[in-house]
Amino acid sequence: MKPYVKIALAVVLFIVIGGILGGLYMYNMKPKDLKTVKPDFVITAVDLCAAFNEDGKAATAKYVNKVIEVSGEISSLMPGDKGVVNIQLESGNNLTSVICTIPISGVNDSFKPGKAITIRGVCSGFLMDVLLNNCVVVENKK
Amino acid sequence: MRRLLYIFLISFLAITANGQKFMTKNGLISFYGHTPMEDIKADNNQVASVLDISTGELVFQVLIKSFHFERALMEEHFNENYMESDKIPKAEFKGKITNLSSVDFKKSGSYDVTVEGDMKIHDVTNKISVKGALEVVSGGLNASSKFNIVPEDYKINIPGVVREKIAKSLEVTVTIKYSPLQTK
Repeated sequence: MKPYVKIALAVVLFIVIGGILGGLYMYNMKPKDLKTVKPDFVITAVDLCAAFNEDGKAATAKYVNKVIEVSGEISSLMPGDKGVVNIQLESGNNLTSVICTIPISGVNDSFKPGKAITIRGVCSGFLMDVLLNNCVVVENKK
Repeated sequence: MRRLLYIFLISFLAITANGQKFMTKNGLISFYGHTPMEDIKADNNQVASVLDISTGELVFQVLIKSFHFERALMEEHFNENYMESDKIPKAEFKGKITNLSSVDFKKSGSYDVTVEGDMKIHDVTNKISVKGALEVVSGGLNASSKFNIVPEDYKINIPGVVREKIAKSLEVTVTIKYSPLQTK
């Protein structure tokens, strides 16, 4: 075999293997771990709710699909199924709040209504509340 | 606008409710599809639902983006290629328990129910009828159901190349824990 054929074969092989590995990597990629991701927005639960209440369209365009670091007071903890807990944050009005879905492993006994907390999550949008998914707790004040 | 809607909704609920309505914002809807290539599974833990036990009417609402998959790429395709969740963020079911009289809300226990109504996914509405169970427990109600939906019924276009990879029909599981609606 001529040397350039060898080189060409090696290059083709390299590209094919690289493509397969890259494809497998993409295919198996897990949702990003928000512990290590810089938030796009840092905001209080009160302001986030107000933004959606005042102008839902603008807030949707601004916040949906973005990583949001939201701080507020826990108003309730609602255990869900499949190993998650929904933490509801006080928003200053009775109708809407921020609901953050977090794996049960990220929650401990100190999480009680009234506790100040900061949570990072991806905003899915607004249903009856502002919904954040894939959440992690950033810090525990107090 | 949204505020007005809420005021309307809440006053409507306040007038008609008084112990007759149950709700949740933390329901679970999962779906599952099996093909020789791979299993498709997703969970949504942020299901909002209201059930009126005086009429049997019930409503479910979900955000498409609240469905979560094990694989990031699958979630991306689900949102961008199939559900077009930027354009159509919600899915909704509005219906009624058709055999309400067979449920004794004063007595704990599980009752079989049939629910009929309009399922709106991907901006396409279809009439469906599903079987489920309603469990009367102290302080609330648990509802569960399992049924199949076919993506093509909702004009969810699946390109030919990946057609075989995606199940023709998806099994949907609904698990809801309702608590009495408190009007403040």
